[in-house]
Amino acid sequence: MDEVVRQIITRRRFLQLSAVSAVAVACSPSAVSSPSSAGSAPAGSSPAGGSGGAPSGGAVTGTINVSYPDEAGLKPKYVEQAAAAVKAQFPGADVKIDLQKVGDDDFYTKLLLALDSGTGPDVFHVGGSSIGELADASYVEPLDNYVSQWADWSQYPDSVRTGVTYKGSVWAIPYGLDMRWLYYRKDDLQKAGLAADWQPANVQGILDAATAVKNANETNVIPYALYAGPAGSSGTADHAFVPLLWAYGGELQDSSGKWIGDSPATKKVMAYYQKAYNGLSPKEILTSTKPWTAMREKLGNGQLALLFEGGWVYGGWASANKAATEQNVGYVLHPTENGGPSFTVGGPGTCWYISSRSTNKQGAWEFIKAMNTAEIVGKLNAEDPHPVARTDAADIPEFKSDPYLVASTAALAKAKFTAPDPGYSKVIEAIQKATARVAAGELGPDDAAKRYTDDLTQALGADKVTSQ
Amino acid sequence: MTAVTAATGRTTVDELARRATTEPPPRPKARAGPLEWILVHIAFLVVVAFFLVPFLWLLSAAFDAKASAYIQFPVEPTIMNFVKIFTEHDFARVLANSVFVAVATMILVVFTVSLAGYSLSRLDLRRKDWITYAVLLLQTMPISATMVPIYGLARQLGLRNSYLGLILIHAAIELPFLIWLMKGFFDSIPRHLEEAAWLDGRSKFRALIEIVLPLARPGLGIAAGLAFLSAWAEVLMVIILIDQDNLKTVPLAFYEAMRTQGGYTEVQYGVIAAMAVIYLLPVMVVFFAARRLMVRGLMSSTRGL
Amino acid sequence: MAVAARGRLGRNRLYLAGLSPAAFLLALFFVGPALWAIGSSFTNRALVGLDAANPRFVGLDNYARLFSDPDFGRVILNSVIFVIGSAIIGQFVLGLLLALLLDYAQRRGFLATSLVYAAVLLAWVNPTIIAGFLWVAMFDFYNGSLNAGLHVVGAPPVNWLGQGPMLAVIIANTWRGTAFTMLIFLGALRTIPSDIYEAARVDGASAFRRFWDHTLPILRPIAALTLLSVTMATFGTFILIQTLTNGGPAFQTEVIALYAFHEAFQNHAVGYGSTISVVMLALNLAFAVVFLRWSRARA
Repeated sequence: MDEVVRQIITRRRFLQLSAVSAVAVACSPSAVSSPSSAGSAPAGSSPAGGSGGAPSGGAVTGTINVSYPDEAGLKPKYVEQAAAAVKAQFPGADVKIDLQKVGDDDFYTKLLLALDSGTGPDVFHVGGSSIGELADASYVEPLDNYVSQWADWSQYPDSVRTGVTYKGSVWAIPYGLDMRWLYYRKDDLQKAGLAADWQPANVQGILDAATAVKNANETNVIPYALYAGPAGSSGTADHAFVPLLWAYGGELQDSSGKWIGDSPATKKVMAYYQKAYNGLSPKEILTSTKPWTAMREKLGNGQLALLFEGGWVYGGWASANKAATEQNVGYVLHPTENGGPSFTVGGPGTCWYISSRSTNKQGAWEFIKAMNTAEIVGKLNAEDPHPVARTDAADIPEFKSDPYLVASTAALAKAKFTAPDPGYSKVIEAIQKATARVAAGELGPDDAAKRYTDDLTQALGADKVTSQ
Repeated sequence: MTAVTAATGRTTVDELARRATTEPPPRPKARAGPLEWILVHIAFLVVVAFFLVPFLWLLSAAFDAKASAYIQFPVEPTIMNFVKIFTEHDFARVLANSVFVAVATMILVVFTVSLAGYSLSRLDLRRKDWITYAVLLLQTMPISATMVPIYGLARQLGLRNSYLGLILIHAAIELPFLIWLMKGFFDSIPRHLEEAAWLDGRSKFRALIEIVLPLARPGLGIAAGLAFLSAWAEVLMVIILIDQDNLKTVPLAFYEAMRTQGGYTEVQYGVIAAMAVIYLLPVMVVFFAARRLMVRGLMSSTRGL
Repeated sequence: MAVAARGRLGRNRLYLAGLSPAAFLLALFFVGPALWAIGSSFTNRALVGLDAANPRFVGLDNYARLFSDPDFGRVILNSVIFVIGSAIIGQFVLGLLLALLLDYAQRRGFLATSLVYAAVLLAWVNPTIIAGFLWVAMFDFYNGSLNAGLHVVGAPPVNWLGQGPMLAVIIANTWRGTAFTMLIFLGALRTIPSDIYEAARVDGASAFRRFWDHTLPILRPIAALTLLSVTMATFGTFILIQTLTNGGPAFQTEVIALYAFHEAFQNHAVGYGSTISVVMLALNLAFAVVFLRWSRARA
């Protein structure tokens, strides 16, 4: 037994020594100008400014590990296409693709565990909203030096670039931007006596339409799905709480950057939740594992009447039955407290990152470039409908000819974005707790709003929270 | 009366346990009255219903192409679910992994635990009780706490994504309880048997193998059965250790199937039910083969320290 | 005397060597991680964000935060309710009743006894992840078997997981674990030869008297330890609850094991998650030690 323990200690010591020497090598002048050297960049690189290797445009060799989650089955062929392009261009390089058929949340947790223990892929694919926390953790490589030498970067408008900038640097490459619609089933609403081209006159209008559907007693039709609680994951914030907050004139942060808890707008949002969960929105949302899967499917086949969800979900319904979807699924922007549909929630979408622990950053960058050509970006986002991040990608015929894609891209002009603040993931946790209490009927709206301030304080500390 | 009881004149726990598991011969007494018969069978019905209904659903869903969450006579009876899991979902590989890991874990555990249980039983230290307690109380460690450090540890030792890692960690988890169980069994085997063998000139090791272990066979059987079942069912550690598709075990495939739900579609109950049915078969085999042994083991384990 | 002592020492060395493979595995995968977890409970370590780049030692801050967290009180309450409901009332009492029923039925020659026995055991030996799957299907609001059954008798469907989550997980966990206590009690009951009951009956003792005088004394010694085992095992359940309600709507079934898991793996706050686990470990240990002392004192 002693022998084995001794061996383990020796091995650990060996790993420590090699890590230290790698840092020493990487910090030496020769390493900076030859990014394809074996030494990895210092793990503690600061987020500001590009301390990564400068792209030399030289030959890329070695293995490039690419890891991404995909459940819908749309991305793999493009990822393979990009991998093939890289291998064709650089014969000495190999691309290893690790496709994980798991949900985004599970993929993210596993990725963090790997990055935390010092390993992980060279290239990975997670939401752009994680930029802040990933950069703060020094897990990702700043891309300024790479994009400054990339001609295609000029195709990305300023608003898109801002979405992936944090503390002055660019951290990820987006390709399909997020926007959301308020979907409604024309057939279900008509059966409830509403117009075929229904539009809510204001936020209350959504509840009124849902109530009409409920009173029409259509079999097997759920009136409305409003995400709440931890089960809804980020959807509880982005597809429910946040647009409602904005609709009622509230903000997530005040001008000094503090997160707002209780406020008049927050109270109104909680009151809205209480009304929604009083017979209109199903309580199963609170306990299902991935409620959005079921809710999206139900809207697609007519068993759900109203849902505020991602624009990309439309693609799933259209690919199953294009004609029926076009006929029966309507989509409008989100209304405000006193006005009709006028805004939506935008986001940078899922993006491609380079790990700061990568030993083949140049190769990783080549893959990202290959994955983000105008052709791939356009085609991928035509199949999995998102407005494109680079404007030339919208010029491909598949994109221009689809009225849905055109509408989604136009709607982006009316999108409001959440700030890429690393604290946002903690705010989402607090939102989940607070909405769950109202939805489950434990607290009334005013008390729930007050507890929301407490939850925010618990998660972020009193100095970052305020109430109005 | 076993040889041991005859030799020592004391009834060992094992003897008691053996008595406990042999069914008493049915008494040739008056038939139970009709009221009694009805009441007992009503009670039986309620109990059986409560415990078996979920499995009824499982069977009906596994053979149904349009399975749903409620029990129904199969709408579209088929065995295609069972075919699909092997052709579309690579279940053969996953099942093979589970079998390999569970069997290997069982072997490792039996070896380690019998050695440790015997040693602990025969150890002659004043503070021996402390060791026994310590082993037992290791079980109080919540597993969610150890998941992150085991991730780091396994990565550093190169045990992630490997059969060896799975086997070692699955084995480690079961050790506290089973060591304690085996110690109890060995405690009930009197020492003078092996001491006699030592005087005869046999080495301690041979004495252990030839004299003691055969007497502890029921205990070993239980340890083997429990080790197999636990490795067969382990899921949390597999999540931590395995990312690669070709190393997945069934519990992980299950866990992912339930949390992934195939992208835009809902749970495919029929397919998952078919997986569950096949996954349950070894469990039932092990259990039915070892049911008497299990009772004896459990009885002995709660005898007290 | 000296020879015997030397022999003993030599034998002890051999026995310690025999313990070493097990000790090695336990040290590596139990003790090591446990110490790491305890250590990290004093840091603000996280899997992402600033705390991931620079984990700091924060002393007792995590513990202070935990004990002032209003949700923690709820979590402890949930855990207590769950243990009382599922372990004590559920598995222990139900197991005892089942054991009595089966023992009685067996002695009276009811043939169906084996079937009942097997049914109870099947629920126990199947892997937890299957049990979770089965009960998710049973409790499903729209299509679940329980609601389908209610529909058949004309009753409205019940939202088991939405409105009675604690009851639902207690039922599922009881279903799962009752066999353990049943087996133990049944084993004990079977050691009583039927003659004793027969003699007592002939003597004119009532059923209650027979139970009190002959059955209970056999059950008492093992009851304590069985209760301890079941309680500790139930305290640590979390896969079943995670599968069914994942903490329940609005924290209603968030038990401490699940809370620790969520903090570490959902909210990526590893240090804080370890803190919760350490508290759980302390509770487990305290309970086990007290219980063991008490049962040894009685024995």
